[in-house]
Amino acid sequence: MQWKNSVLVTLFAVLLLATSALKDAQAQGGMPQLKFRDRTLPNGLRLLSVEDHSSPTVAIQVWYHVGSKDDPAARSGFAHLFEHIMFKSTRNMKAEMMDRLTEDVGGFNNATTNDDVTIYFEVVPSNYLETLLWAEADRLSGLNVDDPNFKSERDVVKEEFRQGVLAPPYGLFFHMLQQKSFQEHPYKRPTIGSIEDLDAATLKDVQDFHATYYRPDDATLIVVGDFDQKELDAWVDKYFRPITKPDRPLPRVNIKEPPRKGEKRFTEYGQNVPLPAVGFTYLTPRQSDADSDALRVAEAILAAGESSRLYHALVYEQQVAAEVAADAELREDASLFVLFAILSADKKPEDAEKSLLAEIKRLQDTPPSAAELEKAKNQIITEQLRQRETSNGKALALGEAAVLLGDANRVNTDLSRLQAITAADVQKVLQKYLTDDNRMVLYYLPQNAKTEKSVAPAPEATTKEGR
Amino acid sequence: MRNTSPARQAMIKFAPALLLALCCVASAQTPQATPPPPAPQRAVQFPRPVEQTLASGLRVIVVERAANPLVAAQLLIKNGGEVDPPELSGLADMTAGLLTKGTESRDATQIAEAIEALGGSLDAGARWDASNATVGVMSSKIDQAIAILADVVRHPVFKDEEIERLRQQYLDNIRVSLGQPGAIARFVGARVVFGDAPYGHPLNGTPESLARIKREDIVKLHGQFYRPDNAILIIGGDIKAQNAFDLAKRYFGDWQKPPAALPVPDRNTLANSKGGRVVVIDKPDAGQAAVYLVRTGIERRNPDYFRGIVTNSVLSGYSGRLNQEIRIKRGLSYGAASTLDTRREVGPFVAFAQTKNQSGAQVADLLLGEISRLATAPPSEGELTPRKAVLVGTFSRNLEQVNGLVGQIGSLALYGLGLDEINKYIGSVQGITPADVQKFAVSRLDAKGANIVVVGNAKEFLPELSKRFPNLEVIPIAELDLNTGLLRKKKQQ
Repeated sequence: MQWKNSVLVTLFAVLLLATSALKDAQAQGGMPQLKFRDRTLPNGLRLLSVEDHSSPTVAIQVWYHVGSKDDPAARSGFAHLFEHIMFKSTRNMKAEMMDRLTEDVGGFNNATTNDDVTIYFEVVPSNYLETLLWAEADRLSGLNVDDPNFKSERDVVKEEFRQGVLAPPYGLFFHMLQQKSFQEHPYKRPTIGSIEDLDAATLKDVQDFHATYYRPDDATLIVVGDFDQKELDAWVDKYFRPITKPDRPLPRVNIKEPPRKGEKRFTEYGQNVPLPAVGFTYLTPRQSDADSDALRVAEAILAAGESSRLYHALVYEQQVAAEVAADAELREDASLFVLFAILSADKKPEDAEKSLLAEIKRLQDTPPSAAELEKAKNQIITEQLRQRETSNGKALALGEAAVLLGDANRVNTDLSRLQAITAADVQKVLQKYLTDDNRMVLYYLPQNAKTEKSVAPAPEATTKEGR
Repeated sequence: MRNTSPARQAMIKFAPALLLALCCVASAQTPQATPPPPAPQRAVQFPRPVEQTLASGLRVIVVERAANPLVAAQLLIKNGGEVDPPELSGLADMTAGLLTKGTESRDATQIAEAIEALGGSLDAGARWDASNATVGVMSSKIDQAIAILADVVRHPVFKDEEIERLRQQYLDNIRVSLGQPGAIARFVGARVVFGDAPYGHPLNGTPESLARIKREDIVKLHGQFYRPDNAILIIGGDIKAQNAFDLAKRYFGDWQKPPAALPVPDRNTLANSKGGRVVVIDKPDAGQAAVYLVRTGIERRNPDYFRGIVTNSVLSGYSGRLNQEIRIKRGLSYGAASTLDTRREVGPFVAFAQTKNQSGAQVADLLLGEISRLATAPPSEGELTPRKAVLVGTFSRNLEQVNGLVGQIGSLALYGLGLDEINKYIGSVQGITPADVQKFAVSRLDAKGANIVVVGNAKEFLPELSKRFPNLEVIPIAELDLNTGLLRKKKQQ
């Protein structure tokens, strides 16, 4: 069962699992090194490329270092809305022409926005590479969107909000879990935004946002697949080099999220909550911090697979939860370690909370066994191998290293970092971050639980209203 | 994300002439104003599967693809949810789910630990027409992984305690599904098209049917269908064929088929192709309305298969007609799409979108309108060519990953089709003409045979919808009964 919202979490989950390992995988099955070329044009645009002729396709990605944390004031959701607008008319392309150049020739395109970055990607037969480079350069150099196109796409994004947040039973839970996790940092505004702020957005906002953030020195172009390096370099020079870099400085978010001082607790009620849910978040350091690797291993030990600690205790043994998860949600400025449980029928949120806390304490008190550590590493490595089956996946791994970790080489060196993590490291990060004072607790309960004295077992007939 | 389908990966071989006519802008004087044309396209070859049948009747298929150090192995049983007895829907899926919850030599925890220690995954479940258990691991671990696969398929013990645990999980899952308008619409749609016939019930069961399933039902289903002469083992990825056959023989070679003959299904499989039913499920707390058009489609082995999937591609996909009309032109949904679900017997055709409750009736109209339009005129070549390219590209990218490769081969084998079909697919798609599409739309997708299901906050769309469909049925969610084609609980006395 999928619990997560695509805009907010899916890509991140992929990225999180993406950076990891190498040496062991080579020993155990041979994870190929990504031999990339790294080149920066005079206007600041960076090109990373990996030649790979195993199939006659090529993946093209452009990473813009702008995400929902950069949403303008009173415009939450704008960076993501803007991402949609990038598929409308540009200087030389009609609306949806990007689909003509990709989908119509047997390729695909997509784009995704998260808290820190916006990524545009295409995979096409390799003979279309030059065409797509032209197209990406064109939409970097100018948008030309009219009002009807803007409004209809804004309606699409509002439907995306309804489909991701309002319609699924736990959409609002995940939305609030992020909102309530940050006090100061703009991460407190989830990527999808709000209907009101989306309604307030104007065409003028679109032009301003493009001028501010869509500039060559804020872009990383990644090309992986079937191409000739010399040809690629010449095409990139031809289409991207003429784009000028503005003189203005690039604005950057420099708000610091203050440390948490004491547990915060919230109880929220939803219209459509088949089973109550309990979530915890802990504030953890930025993604590039040295503790991130150990947090990732902790995530796997706690919740990857049915032999993981949380699944075994809460779902299998105690049967207090139908679903349980842990996620080291890494972000550029400040991260969250998230745990949640969707309860089994007739169970109390207090019991799930107690069990989650007991499992955390167990890992704080005693380091994981050698076998458990090895298993977690194997799981992370296999996941990474799966991601790197495709050129698009390889490009995502490279982009994360270059843009979010600030070191493209980490796409190849993270495996040895992972291998170096010890049981004591895992225990140490749990003790350091998963403390009582650093915890936010969210109970998400059905509306009808509100009127009852205590949080009683959810009654069977929750849907009998209106009659 | 911009598109509704999650981003998939890369690999294409076919590239039709670029449709510049569709995309040129007026001012094309500078070299940068129009896109540069494509270079000549490059050819591709898909791997060729090889196979052996063991003395027990187990068919073993191997497909080598060494690009990445990963291997997947899938054991397919050639029956799934369609053999659930009418009052025990969910039985085949629960049976498959229990395979990994204990064998004669390992308990559930030990099985999970064994496969996860390898960094691998082990999944088991039933779908329509098949049940499967699948492992995926780094290629260096495939020996241990196939040992686990064979153990769970051949020696499950179905402990009572595990049955109760899984039953509770299924009940929790169905409860969550019944909170989602899209999931409810799918369940209701299946009942509308198939009634009480085998594809009509929810594959994962209903709260009532799950409560009725007993251990003896599970043991019986396993005994009847899990046998080597009703199974196919597919191994694909970074492994030599000879090595894969050796592993198959080592772990499955002494799997004996029982003396009794395979049971022959005796239930009426006929779907309801009549159409015209309009069902509203009133769920006042729904954050969106799910609008589904459902009708009968075709079976997998139907000679119209390629006409069907190309026709569906004209309707579905990001730039397909449904998404063009509903999302791109009108902003009414995050995405509209359709599926032609082909099975051993006639499967469903479904066109769907989720929209704000107020737009429910309008979206129903648009879905019906697009199905009707397709029957009135053939698409132009200019429209059809890119829609065929989409199919070919998706198919090829799917084969680039071992899970996709093994899944495709498994599906061909399951329906008794030639395994070399994967190398004929592109040609078959390319051979479909505009007239073929119209013919398929007229003969197989006629709007008169369509039914409509809308799940949402009915007061927002009912006035408009009932003008268009005066005979519609409204079922409050509390009265919905998925155990029967009637869909409505019997009145309490």
